[in-house]
Formats: sequence, C-alpha cells, structure tokens
Amino acid sequence: MFFELIRLQYLKSVRSTAFAKSLMTNIFLGFIILLLLSYLLLAGLFLGRIIENFAEGQDPIAFLNSFLIFFFLTEFLYRYFIQNLPVVDLESLLHLPVGKRKIMHLLLIRSFISPLNIIALLIFLPFSIQSIAPEFGSMGALGWIGSLVLTSWILHWFMLWFKQRFEDSTLGLIIVMAVLVLGGGSTYLGWYNLGELTQPIFDLAVNSILPLAVLSLVFVGSYWLCFRYHVDNAYLEDLSSDNDSQVRGQSIGFLSRFGLAGELANVEWKLIVRHKKSRTYLMLSAFFLLYGLIFYTNPAYASEDGGISFIFVFVGVFITGIFMIQYGQLFLSWNSGSFDFYLNRKDGVEQLVRGKYLLFISISVICFLASVPYVYFGWQILLVHIATFLFNIGVLIHVIIYLALWKPKPMDLNKGAMFNYEGVGAAQWLMVIPMMILPYVIYLPFALLINDFAALAALAIFGLFGILFYKKLSALNIRRVYQNKYEISSSFRQEL
Amino acid sequence: MISVKNLKKQYKEAVVLDVEALEIPKGECFGLVGNNGAGKTTLFRIMLDLVRPTSGEVSLEGHVVNQGEEWKKFTGAYLDEHMLLSYLTPDEYFETLRKIHGLSEADLEVHLEKFAELFNDEVRGKKKYIRDLSKGNLKKVGIAAALLGNPEVVFLDEPFENLDPSSQIRLKKLISKEKDEFKRTFLISSHDLNHVTEICDRIVLLEKGKIIRDLSEKSEMMRELEAYFVG
Repeated sequence: MFFELIRLQYLKSVRSTAFAKSLMTNIFLGFIILLLLSYLLLAGLFLGRIIENFAEGQDPIAFLNSFLIFFFLTEFLYRYFIQNLPVVDLESLLHLPVGKRKIMHLLLIRSFISPLNIIALLIFLPFSIQSIAPEFGSMGALGWIGSLVLTSWILHWFMLWFKQRFEDSTLGLIIVMAVLVLGGGSTYLGWYNLGELTQPIFDLAVNSILPLAVLSLVFVGSYWLCFRYHVDNAYLEDLSSDNDSQVRGQSIGFLSRFGLAGELANVEWKLIVRHKKSRTYLMLSAFFLLYGLIFYTNPAYASEDGGISFIFVFVGVFITGIFMIQYGQLFLSWNSGSFDFYLNRKDGVEQLVRGKYLLFISISVICFLASVPYVYFGWQILLVHIATFLFNIGVLIHVIIYLALWKPKPMDLNKGAMFNYEGVGAAQWLMVIPMMILPYVIYLPFALLINDFAALAALAIFGLFGILFYKKLSALNIRRVYQNKYEISSSFRQEL
Repeated sequence: MISVKNLKKQYKEAVVLDVEALEIPKGECFGLVGNNGAGKTTLFRIMLDLVRPTSGEVSLEGHVVNQGEEWKKFTGAYLDEHMLLSYLTPDEYFETLRKIHGLSEADLEVHLEKFAELFNDEVRGKKKYIRDLSKGNLKKVGIAAALLGNPEVVFLDEPFENLDPSSQIRLKKLISKEKDEFKRTFLISSHDLNHVTEICDRIVLLEKGKIIRDLSEKSEMMRELEAYFVG
C-alpha cells in the first residue's frame, strides 16, 4: 500500500500538464541545492579553523557550544520561510479503506526527506570528527553530533505543526519576530546571554549520553504530536472556526477609477484576502519591509566614502517589489479556478492582466511609501529605493509576468485549510534568483565604470523608460496569454 | 443565427467531434442530447472558443468565434464552475458582472427579480462564498449570470442536473419565458429527455461526435429518443 501511494504521487507529477515546467524547475533547483549543500560541507570542514581564528586561546568546543542556540534560532527562521508542507490529494483517498494514519505517516516521512534535514549534519559532522573525537572519544563525538542533528530534526516536526497552525495568523508572525528579536537582541544588548544559558546542554552532550537519550525521546514525541495533529485534522472542513460565517475583504475605492481593469483588480484583491495561500504572500510583503534593518544597519555593508554597497540594490528591489516577485510568479495560476470566466467576457483576459498590473503597482507604491523612513539610515538609501522602485514597476514587473506565463500550473485554492498545505516554499525563493540578476546587469557596469550614483540613475532611467512604454510592454504579455489561451484553459480544467 | 461548418476536433488519432453542418436560427431552443462522451460539452466549448477546433469554424451572428471577441457581448454561457468566481459571494459576483456589462443597479435588480422564485431565498443576501454553496445553488447562480446582460444566445450545459424537482420546473418555465419574450436562442445539453423535449423546438442527437438525428417534430422526438436510448 505504501508503495502504491508513492506510485500515485509519481503518476500525478508525471501526468501533470505542467510536467515540463516542473521538470525544468526541479533540475534548476536540484543544481542550486547541490551547490549550496557543498558550500555548507566546505564550511563544515573548515569550521574548526574558523573558530580558532575567532576565539584565540578559548576552548573551541565550548565556544561553539555557546553559539549553537543561534544556529538553531536561525534554523527556526529559515525553516519557517522555506520548509514545504507535505501535499497529497487526500480528498480522493479519504473515503477509501486506506487508513488515514497510513496516509499521514507517508506524508510526514516524505516531508522528512529534505535537504534541510542534512544541513546540521553537513556543518557539524566534520567538526565532531576533527575536534571532539580526539578529545572525548567516538562516544563523545556521537553524543554531540547526535544531539545537534536531533535538535534540528525536532525543529522539522515542530515546524510542520507550527506552519500548519500559525502560518496564516498574525500570532505566528509575532512569534517569528519574537524569535528574531530574542536571538538578535540577547548578546547585542547584553541583558542576558542566550548562548551561555543553553551552552551547558551541549557541553554535557560531549561527556554523557543523557542529552542524546532525552532528545531521542523528544524527537519521537514531537513526531507523534505532529502526526496526531495531522490525523485529527484530516477532515474536509476547514480547521478554522470562522470559516464561512464572515465575508472578509472589501473593495478598495480608488481602484474602481480605472474602469474594468480596476474592477478586476478589486476582484483579485478579494481573491488575495480570502485565500490562505495568497494571504501568506501578502503578510510576507509586510514582513519584508523590515528586511532592510538587517542590511542597512550592518557595518559590514557601510562604506566610508558615502557610496552604496551593491547588496543594497538587491535589498531595495526586494523591499519595494516582494509582492509582485512572489505573487507574480504564479500569475495566472491564482485564477485557474475561474479562467473560463475571463475568457468568456469580451476583453476579459486583457482586463484581467491589466487589473493585475494595477494591483502589483499599487502594492509596490505602498511598499515604497512605507519604506521611506529608512532615510534615517542615510539619504542614499532613499535613492536606492526610488531607483529600485522605478525599475520594479517599469521593467521587472514585465519580466516576472513573462516568465510566469510559461505553462502556468492550475492551483486549487478552494480546498479547506487542512488541504491547503501549499504555503510559501523553497521553490518560490530559488526562482527569485534569475530575476535578481537583471537589476545587476544594468547596475554593475555603471557602478564599475562610473560610480554608484550613476548606476542608480541608470536603473531609474531604465525604469522610467519602462513606465513610458508600459502600454507596449504589457501588450506583449497580454498577447502571450491570448496566444496560449486554449492550452492554458484546458490545463486549468483538466488538472486537480 | 448560429452556423457550424465542417467542424472537427481530433486528439491525435481519435476524432471526438465531426459536425459537417449545423444551423441554428435565431430564437430557437436547441437541445443537444447524447450518451456520455458523445461530444456535447466539447461542441459547446468549441462554439464558445474555449477549445481550439482541429478544422472548421463556428460563427455566431456572422462573427467567426476564434477571430475576434465581438460575439461575447451578446453571448451568455454556463458550462461549469470554472465560469464562476468562486471566492466571491453571489451578490458580489452579480455586482462584478453588472459592472462588466455596464448595467445600472436597477437593471440588475430587475434581472435578479426574475430569478427570485428559482433562488428560493437561498442565494442572495447570504454571507456565503459561491464555493461554499451546494451544487444546485451553484448552478442557479451560473444560470442567472449567463442570462445577465440581455444575451441573444445562451449556452447551458446540463442545466437541470443537481436541481431539486421544483427548481427544475421553475427553470423550465423561466427558459420558455425568456425565449418567448426576448427571442433568445438557447442551446441546452441535457440527459433529461423529458425536460429537453418539453422546452426545445429541436433536438440533435450526438453519437461519437457525429450528428445522427436531427428532430424538430415534437410528437416524434420522445419516441425516437426513447427508441435510441433504450436500444
């Protein structure tokens, strides 16, 4: 039965109308993942020496142990953003005599096979062999690395529960922010040192088998809790109690000034606010407004001559355009449930695309305005934001949409919350990379040949030209939708 | 007037639709029947330019459907849920359509008033998204939407499916009235022979993508169809 379920999953992906796209994406992703993992392994191999450089004269093991808590806090954050939740077509299996528990076990175990779960191993295994084994013997090394890896894996199960439960709520976001502040603030402000508080646990792991044993129990326990939660909630109705009792999201007044496109932008806004997945994307935009705090305050990126660190362009593009970058990747997929509706109206598809443009630009403007206070960190940051904002709405927006129009996948937004496992995952993040190269293609030559400000001006000018030719450029994308309308509409109807 | 010429739809070797000629005059209620897989929905989808024909063409009032969008102004259709915006409430959905068609609020009210009996107080004024409606109510919303904006041609795929018996009768009355009062052309596919013979002036029987009967004599319809389906 177990293998039958795996076979079904396999058939589902192979027979998907978007198979070619998934395959290409997966090959690209696989390549990037291998690259990143090999960097981590390299870092792991040199970890001992790196520590010696940083903490001369201190015991490297104790030093590392005092920092491990920050590693796990970071792990918590990146898991929150990139760990995918397992997806399977439960609906079609639930009524069969298959056993909910079996399906859930399969789902959870499959989720466990992920590159995220070997990161801790890659980084710390070399250190445990090189530094801990000679001093404390192989049992010590095993106890230490075992505790670390188990902690990382416990986070895996915890995150499955956490994302399912809180991804859609403000509370979840507050908790994530709290973790960020807790981790960053502790040593920085000097009130307390989180590292020293947790260090004894990892110190003990070198000498005793106790932490390993306890963590093993916690690991099994966390799996069981996660499993229970998923089994208990494997019903077709929504998890949340406020399901259909209220209708949320009202129209935004000013959009209706833009005629039919504005009306459809309003409808799209309702789509965003009324579905869990799209709401997550919106919250992410709010979250990323704070992204600048990491970079702009970091002395490593400040330059003495008042210039601009080239990483700031990346940050600026993100802050002012994160919504279109993330939401735009699934451009038409959001409308896969009602694509025929638009096809069936005169100019429906054109107005739909225009409406989306309108919405992306509006949200970009809001993000830009909200990011103005960053001027506190220097007026050049405002310049960066102006330039990247213009570039985003002038050029990048068309590129994102163009890329997204390649074999769009259908997406079922209407499943109950429990089946809407798809949140924001690693794939969405990695696909951002090619889009991020574009601003640098323009920025770098000018920055290297003239100076940073000329490069910013170049970005802005490209953006302005894009805005000037907005009609022509958007018409290209609209034409592309019309050319592929039969394929898109049939793939949206057949799938899922 | 609708005309279909040499229409063919082929998936690799398999021919799923092959209609040499079909003419539907204005104001006719045209019924399409046939067993599962006969090609009814495919024919409708091609006529609405949702699926590309392998060869041949369809024209509505002289407009070839895959060469422009003028015809969409006077055509209404409800084939399946993909034609709804399921994340809106029915009221919001009608409101959106009102703006798309450029109607006044009073126009919309007059239109929806006609459906009051069919809706049976279960559709309007409810704080419920379309996706949470029952299948029957979903269908009612779709049909009301298809008839909005004074269309000359209306396509309905299985309109009686999932409706309760009283709703079926109300819908029949409604279609007959719309046809008589406004001379709308109706194209209806259905498995329900009783209903379809009652309201349609003409019934075409599809088998494996081909038209094998074209009946317009009321008295013969039922007999011929029963003979075919019972075998």
